[in-house]
Amino acid sequence: MEKGPASPEIKEKVLAYLATVEKAKSKEIAAAIGEKKADVDLAVKELAFEDKVEYLYITTTFVALKGKVGAPQ
Amino acid sequence: MPRIDAGPPHYKEMLPPIILENYGKWRYHVIPRPGVLKHVAENGAELYSVRAGSPRLVSIDFIRDMCALADEYCDGFLRFTSRNNIEFLVSDAGKVEPLISALEAKGIPVGGTGNSLSNIVHTQGWVHCHTPATDASGIVKAVMDDLHEYFTDMKLPAKLKVAMACCLNMCGAAHCSDIAMVGVHRTPPRVNDEKVQKGTEIPSLVASCPTGAIRPNPKTKSVVVNEEKCMYCGNCYTMSPGMEIADPKNDGVAILIGGKTSNARTAPSFSRMVIPFLPNNPPRWPEVTEAVRHIVEVYASNARQGERLGEWVERIGWEKFFILTGIEFTDKHIDDYIFSRETFRTSAAFKF
Amino acid sequence: MSEKKTPQLDELEKGQWPSFVTEIRKAAAKNPAAEDLLGLLERSYEEKKGHWKHGGIVGVKGYGGGVIGRYTDLPEEYPNLAEFHTIRLNQPSGWFYTTKSLRTICDIWEKYGSGLTNLHGSTGDIILLGTTTENIQPAFDEFSDAGFDLGGSGSDLRTPSCCVGPARCEHACYDTLDACHNITNEFQDELHRPMWPYKFKIKFSGCANDCTASIARSDCSIIGTWRDTLRIDQDAVKAYVQEGLDIQGAVCDKCPTRALKFDYKKNELNVIAEECTRCMHCINVMPKAIRPGQEKGATILLGGKSTIVQSAFMAWVIVPFMKMEDDYEELKDLLRRIWEWWDENGKTRERIGETIYRLGMGKFLREVGLPPVPQMVFRPRANPYVFWQQDEINK
Ligand code: HEM
Ligand code: HEM
Ligand code: HEM
Ligand code: HEM
Ligand code: SF4
Ligand code: SF4
Ligand code: SF4
Ligand code: SF4
Repeated sequence: MEKGPASPEIKEKVLAYLATVEKAKSKEIAAAIGEKKADVDLAVKELAFEDKVEYLYITTTFVALKGKVGAPQ
Repeated sequence: MPRIDAGPPHYKEMLPPIILENYGKWRYHVIPRPGVLKHVAENGAELYSVRAGSPRLVSIDFIRDMCALADEYCDGFLRFTSRNNIEFLVSDAGKVEPLISALEAKGIPVGGTGNSLSNIVHTQGWVHCHTPATDASGIVKAVMDDLHEYFTDMKLPAKLKVAMACCLNMCGAAHCSDIAMVGVHRTPPRVNDEKVQKGTEIPSLVASCPTGAIRPNPKTKSVVVNEEKCMYCGNCYTMSPGMEIADPKNDGVAILIGGKTSNARTAPSFSRMVIPFLPNNPPRWPEVTEAVRHIVEVYASNARQGERLGEWVERIGWEKFFILTGIEFTDKHIDDYIFSRETFRTSAAFKF
Repeated sequence: MSEKKTPQLDELEKGQWPSFVTEIRKAAAKNPAAEDLLGLLERSYEEKKGHWKHGGIVGVKGYGGGVIGRYTDLPEEYPNLAEFHTIRLNQPSGWFYTTKSLRTICDIWEKYGSGLTNLHGSTGDIILLGTTTENIQPAFDEFSDAGFDLGGSGSDLRTPSCCVGPARCEHACYDTLDACHNITNEFQDELHRPMWPYKFKIKFSGCANDCTASIARSDCSIIGTWRDTLRIDQDAVKAYVQEGLDIQGAVCDKCPTRALKFDYKKNELNVIAEECTRCMHCINVMPKAIRPGQEKGATILLGGKSTIVQSAFMAWVIVPFMKMEDDYEELKDLLRRIWEWWDENGKTRERIGETIYRLGMGKFLREVGLPPVPQMVFRPRANPYVFWQQDEINK
């Protein structure tokens, strides 16, 4: 099942939202920017390939702007 | 440029010719000797799988050694089982015994088939995990040394599947084993306010506690633990490094028995706790190895042929199990967690 | 460094079972991180406590899982363990290897890692223990060129695994290796880019012996079965009688439903087809004489997980029989509906079994579109506290 490219507007909205928080779950991002979670997941996937965001595993998986959260102290 | 999402290698590239030819056409198998499975295909082709034990935590030198044996005796084809055993896939019957001798010369035991003890499924422990209440590899090594004869022989009433998990996350799937060794804590977490304040989501931490023992403390921007409610599961530590639960003086090992996952004869079942606590006594955990051996021996000398450990205990009754083993029955054996009631005896029929 | 003493670990090099300490020592001869690991582990044995921190902020470009960050809490004393991350590689179906492929893994891991591995992790992956942040991407690039890919970690689909199935087992009721490979490739996004409340594991067993322990170890357990009647070869039955097998005692009396009748006079074994629950017992004892039926497929069970937090759950039946064919479209469609429902309803770190338990099977079945059938329960409820739907009551 090809999902096609992500919507550029949603990608922008994801980046804009992530700039306001340390990290967020994709479900929270979807709720905050008012988009479907599946579309947000796709946008995050592309942004990760573009090195703009990264996935973090801290008890569950979060998304953050690349480099925003460091290694544990 | 690396490929992305290419998936694992295709298994067909890994199969020996005899399997490619007889894929889905195996007729039956027998166990000609401990550690060897002989599979016979519809067309009469014969495949010998030689099963060998491994410590699971292995170096690349070990893997290369096994590869050298596989090249010499079975054209370079081998596999691993779901219990971390190695299986050499031999299509030439004449090479089975020489391969076994070569393995034994390297100190690699051959066995784990049929009515034997298979390798112990286990987890990372002190070697590589952040939440363990005990080590895994060390206990497994000590127990397998002690029960070696049950791996290389098939003298048990039925299969014996043992598992070891170093904390209640139970990465190693201990809860449905014939015998499970599980690392347990016995004291509540000590809250380190500073660490909790740093990067812990307080609501998630509060929600993580299955007994509702954790309350937020707005004054310290941290949490407090109601120690009476805590049953030391350690889930909060997984959520926050500020919930320090490791306690060398009190951590140890619990033993559960009688679970199984196969559907043969009786439904799959959970293991049940028979020893609530044994001390952590590295490097060889003598209390644990002794308890496990004792349970295995009482089972081996009392069960009927073909009975898994749990089937035997269910037939004779758990009250009888405690009498036969001499293991003391205490208030700790009676469940007081959320699904406890179904384990209470609501019948006036039982044994003395 | 080699003069550092490890008296406790030395004890674990004694005895007949192959020793993991010996393995770490072999790696330590070539790799300073493995050497530090010996020291750190000895320290854990002395203090009876672990020395690893919560970890997790490492990865490969474009992937959200497959690499697990590991940092020791004593980096000053064990500098080579300051970063000691795990890489999970997706194993080939059935854990079959050629020596060539294993050697390739060894060579790459010698170059970029500690040389220590687990064959295999509990979920099924090839676990490569111990590398630095810097080495992760180049190691991945070489593994990728060699035909390997990462497994799962975090709140995603974990690497599916399967039993040896038709490759070497006469009991297999469907092609577990193909199903595992196919499903793994179909759901690469779900495997590599975590997006769910928590992890989700799938295991494929070819029959009710369940050699992958799927019912206990996976959220979705796919167990081979058949719907018609098991097949009995009377000549082979007679051969077992000749060999001295006690068919009445070892087979008929242990059949849970007493579905087998042995005729002593004719040495014939017959099954009452509608009584058999397909438990595999008789087939296990008499593989030459008894075989599964011919209308084969699988039972789908859901909800298995370990004890944290709401007690251990064993997976329970949600589809009694599904054909495993047509590129597994029926299974894929079902998985998608389940994931969508769980994503919508699950709380953070709640496994699918816990979500269903919290919200009720009724709601789950209605919303995922599965018909309720008696095979889903051992017995019906003992109380009359039913949640009636609005359209079911008289207005
Ligand atoms: C005649 C019947 C049986 C046959 C032909 C058989 C065959 C096999 C095979 C081929 C494996 C290796 C599977 C793999 O690694 O993917 C295996 C492993 C296993 N089987 Fe069975 N099995 C039989 C009965 C049973 C029964 C009755 C049980 C449980 C009660 C059982 C439990 C297991 C377990 C736990 C493993 C993992 C063992 C290990 O890796 O050492 N099997 N079996
Ligand atoms: C004695 C019997 C037990 C057996 C045989 C057993 C078996 C298993 C198995 C097979 C798994 C799956 C591991 C995997 O993911 O591959 C597992 C996971 C787990 N077990 Fe157990 N377990 C036992 C008892 C317990 C107990 C007493 C606890 C906690 C109090 C526990 C907690 C867990 C947890 C938290 C997991 C992770 C489950 C998950 O979410 O996948 N288990 N266990
Ligand atoms: C937030 C909680 C958890 C964290 C942070 C965590 C972390 C880890 C880490 C870091 C490893 C890799 C160990 C290594 O190879 O270096 C691991 C392995 C594993 N974990 Fe967890 N884990 C968590 C919860 C669980 C739970 C609840 C389960 C099961 C129910 C589980 C099942 C496993 C399994 C099956 C492995 C593979 C272990 C092995 O191969 O020995 N984990 N976990
Ligand atoms: C959860 C819901 C139920 C409640 C709260 C309930 C409560 C009661 C109570 C208070 C009694 C009187 C006991 C006594 O003082 O002698 C009783 C008796 C009885 N109930 Fe229920 N009941 C429930 C469900 C049922 C159901 C579903 C059935 C039948 C399927 C049932 C069948 C009976 C019968 C046959 C008796 C008489 C028992 C006897 O005297 O031997 N009850 N129930
Ligand atoms: S069982 Fe617990 S301590 Fe052991 S590896 Fe798993 S999470 Fe770590
Ligand atoms: S150890 Fe378990 S029961 Fe105790 S406070 Fe933590 S989460 Fe709650
Ligand atoms: S689960 Fe069944 S089909 Fe698969 S290996 Fe085990 S016995 Fe064979
Ligand atoms: S498969 Fe099980 S239930 Fe069916 S006849 Fe054989 S022993 Fe009986």
